[in-house]
Amino acid sequence: MLKKIINYIVKYLPESNKIERIWILAKSNFRKRYYGSSLGIIWALINPLFLLVIYYFIFNVIFNNQIENFILYMFSGFLIWMFFEEASKEGLNTITSNRYLIENIRIKKLDIYISGLLSKLFALIFNIFAYFLISLFFKIQYSANILFLPILIFNLLILNLGISLIISIISVYLKDFNHFWDLFTLALFWLNPIFYSELILYQTYKIILYLNPVAGIIINTRNVLLNGVSPDFNLLVINFCQAIIILILGLIINKKHFSKVIEIL
Amino acid sequence: MKDNIVISLKSVSKTFKIKDKSDYTIRNRVTKILKPSKIHIIEALKNINLEIKEGDFFGIIGRNGSGKSTLLKIMSQVYPPDKGGKVDILGKYLKLTLGTGFDGELTAKENIYLNASLLGLTFKRIGNKFQEIIEFAELEEFVNSKVKYFSSGMYSRLAFAVAVHAEADIFLIDEFFGGVGDEKFKQKSEKTFRESIIKGKTIVFVSHDLNAIMENCNKVLLLNYGEPIIIGSPEKVLIEYNRLLK
Repeated sequence: MLKKIINYIVKYLPESNKIERIWILAKSNFRKRYYGSSLGIIWALINPLFLLVIYYFIFNVIFNNQIENFILYMFSGFLIWMFFEEASKEGLNTITSNRYLIENIRIKKLDIYISGLLSKLFALIFNIFAYFLISLFFKIQYSANILFLPILIFNLLILNLGISLIISIISVYLKDFNHFWDLFTLALFWLNPIFYSELILYQTYKIILYLNPVAGIIINTRNVLLNGVSPDFNLLVINFCQAIIILILGLIINKKHFSKVIEIL
Repeated sequence: MKDNIVISLKSVSKTFKIKDKSDYTIRNRVTKILKPSKIHIIEALKNINLEIKEGDFFGIIGRNGSGKSTLLKIMSQVYPPDKGGKVDILGKYLKLTLGTGFDGELTAKENIYLNASLLGLTFKRIGNKFQEIIEFAELEEFVNSKVKYFSSGMYSRLAFAVAVHAEADIFLIDEFFGGVGDEKFKQKSEKTFRESIIKGKTIVFVSHDLNAIMENCNKVLLLNYGEPIIIGSPEKVLIEYNRLLK
């Protein structure tokens, strides 16, 4: 199906195969991650689901959480977080893992980054699909607000693109940056209302809400996906601004340092 | 057509500042603020001016460490030149080096598609050419094997086949033909190469194999410690090179 659409688009761009190029880069990326193993692509689903079961056990059974439809509440937040974490990890290694291409062929640097994100987007779409399947077991009313979901994902993509552009450069200058990044994402993880009620952030820790660029996306995703209400437009605007600023910063930093970084690889 | 300049380098120099490898960790960055480690400055290339025309078979020779590979990397725009230098390369190029260019985790087929696509071919065209490529590389049985299991010979045959069939205009070749295939494959690739020249493709060839340089190149550059000594016909340059070796 997707292939058909892409072929269709390509037909009207006879001179350029840019879309195909990004597509095949993303596909190879995705394949490398999942196809080598025996369960293959299913890992993209098993991983988050398994974590969800564990967290569900901890937070619902042991801590006796009061949130309604807790599993969907978690999953809707977790979807976004998984993408953010995986994509930033991918972004961190963009330069080293694509070195064989960068050094041997003329390639637009941005294409590499975009394709890396795209390969993670496949996984996100899988997970959203899984979310819909699970939600069939609950009485969830979907509203037209779900149309905001692509906008939120777009926001997430911009944010991750900007972050990748920056951290991929830093990780070459500082070889042990990945350890730091692991700790950072671990801390950031708990600053997102994935297992606890977002009201806590709204009431007491407003600063986290406004400084953490992922929290708002998670809350809004939940609003449109689970609660069927419109997104918090304040947060939406703030998050978009943050993402765009990070992206612009990333483009500037990346442009300035990319060729220097190649020399010390 | 024949006189189009496809690669031009104007006053290109390249200096590397090399620090100790251990400097690239957070701890060392912090502790060495007060006591920075010594920086070695290496002038890999000094003021190189050259023009390569469409259809040239351009050889680069020189002793070990004379900057040949660096020059190739500058041409392929992996490294930027120092300030003041200018590099222009017109057309699609593919660099052929042993051990790079493919992703070991992908199969031969996937690598062909990836590389050819990056060179600007549409999937449809790659599909049409696919059989030709795989037959040329003599890898029909290994289409769906991961490239990391390939021998270095198979690997280079594949790289060469992709480069030839993916319609690259410029080939940047770094010591590539040392171990590529048996006599039959060599003859075949040499034949293809000659045909490529007729078709107006441009080849830049770095090698220690003086025979190959003699046979193929129409212009040769001799580098010594990053300095261009002479650019000219292979006969002339080889005499100079032999003098240098003594």
